[in-house]
Amino acid sequence: MSTPGRAILLRRLRRDRLGMLGAVLLLLLLLLSVLGPVLPLGDSTEIGAGPRLGPPTAAFPMGNDELGRSYLPRVVQGIGVTFALSSAAVAITALIGTALGIAAGYLGGVVDGLIARVADVLFAFPALLFGLLVAAVVGPGQISAIVVISTATLPLFVRVIRSVALSVAGREFALAAVVAGASPWRVMAVHILPNIAGAAIVQLTYALSIGMLIESGLSFLGLGVQPPDASLGSLLRLGSVYLNVSPWLALIPGVVLALAIMSVNLLGDAIRDGLEPLRGRALT
Amino acid sequence: MRLIVFLVPRFGLAMVTMGGVALLVFVALRLLPGGYADVLLGPYATPEARALIGARYGLDQPVTVQFGKWLGALLQGDFGTSMVTRKPVIDEFLRRAPVTAELATLTLALALPIGGLLGVRSAVAAAGGSRGSFGRLVGALGASVPEFVLGSVLIFVFSHWSLGLRVGGFTPLTQDLASNLRSMALPVASLSVFGIALILRTTRDAVLRVLTEGHILAAVARGETPRHIVRHHVLRNAAIPVVTVTATYFGYLLGGAVIAEILFSVPGVGYYIYSSLEGRDYAVVQAGVLLAAFAFVSLNMLADVAYALIDPRIGATRTRT
Repeated sequence: MSTPGRAILLRRLRRDRLGMLGAVLLLLLLLLSVLGPVLPLGDSTEIGAGPRLGPPTAAFPMGNDELGRSYLPRVVQGIGVTFALSSAAVAITALIGTALGIAAGYLGGVVDGLIARVADVLFAFPALLFGLLVAAVVGPGQISAIVVISTATLPLFVRVIRSVALSVAGREFALAAVVAGASPWRVMAVHILPNIAGAAIVQLTYALSIGMLIESGLSFLGLGVQPPDASLGSLLRLGSVYLNVSPWLALIPGVVLALAIMSVNLLGDAIRDGLEPLRGRALT
Repeated sequence: MRLIVFLVPRFGLAMVTMGGVALLVFVALRLLPGGYADVLLGPYATPEARALIGARYGLDQPVTVQFGKWLGALLQGDFGTSMVTRKPVIDEFLRRAPVTAELATLTLALALPIGGLLGVRSAVAAAGGSRGSFGRLVGALGASVPEFVLGSVLIFVFSHWSLGLRVGGFTPLTQDLASNLRSMALPVASLSVFGIALILRTTRDAVLRVLTEGHILAAVARGETPRHIVRHHVLRNAAIPVVTVTATYFGYLLGGAVIAEILFSVPGVGYYIYSSLEGRDYAVVQAGVLLAAFAFVSLNMLADVAYALIDPRIGATRTRT
């Protein structure tokens, strides 16, 4: 993205209240999870620190879990794990998806057809069912969660990048580079890649929000993060067992999870509106 | 003719996709711990049964031949045998499919009108100079609340206070309609919020995009009312992305809304596949993934038919998109 383009985008983002809300919320959650270990939140591993299934008190602001551990540091840890796992998976999606999308859009022909078919196949698997299959093959855990999230977010990402790359490849500067004798590799890396960055960023925020939904869904089913590690989804899984005795154990990670995903969605919406504002005509 | 020219290649692609799905599942089965006879028969199978499976699927033959035989068996409806019930897996699925189909249909019946209406209103409001923040917020919030978070909240609320709906306890449709709908209300509610948000966001974008076009300016200049413009100039032009998303979403629901079915003990295919994984009944997991992908691909085919009906230009000329 060019420098003036970036300045315009930033100005539009600053004016977008919902987008700013998302950005601030996301930043707070990320800071909390990164600084969690050094903040005085209490020990997440100390068993019997407080009463079992104890309600929120001054000493334990989010109550205690079924082993009497303080819940606040566990939730903070869960935020970090949820973000880290989903981001790792989406980073893989970004790397593979950008390469495949540009290749499909620019090279066309057999390459395009082949990539489109593979994307179709992956797209046809419902993510959680695919997660069940992967869990059956490699066993539940972080690796299978990352595999499932990447394969679930890849097809849509490739399709979007492909269509943007196709339109960029038809523009004058790309054609000029071809005429000047640039190799296909050079055209793809130097002329197409920088011009799909905007679309890629927007699509990545959506992939991240879907990835967080899938990660928490897998962990909720017991197929994601395994104890003693915890993500927001696996905390909710444990908490839902005690829903009638100590509802906060399920409700707190649930609300935090929804807020975390919403912050990503709001930021994504704002970036997209900033890059491509749709000014519809008023009907009156 | 136009329809045929448009649909035949797409049907071919759908077949290729199904072939790819089958191949991927086949590879996954090879990688499963315990080998293929265990997958089909379970660990307690007799040596004779193992020999029979070995002969039927040619387990001593090259992998390509094995894949061909396996695919041939699938095409005849042979998805293997459940090691728990000792019955063909396909029968077990057909028995549970109506429940999931009902859950999916009710969810869509709720999500499509609400999401569509909110989406159109939000887009028209945004175009009319208001920022349309309400629609954006509802869309972002709804797309961010996982069904198990909403489901847990609903379970908590409805089991703490008696509000007329029971939590858990499923009544089949054929037994008592009113009681069935009451047992479906909470799972449908927790599933449809994401659907509403998804359809709202898609509709809002599609309508806003149509509102930037010249023929809308012309209609406004002619003095047509907003209601008339939306009905005659906007909806049909904005329909295609909404149809795409609806088909994808319905396909996802038909594949078994695993989490909602587990949370609310709805005995559908999603619940069945999940409990089969816990019981290491891999033939069920395998068949479940294949059938879900099949439902998904079929619905996308139907969406293709809908595109051609909505837009008369489709199929009239061939263009690379």
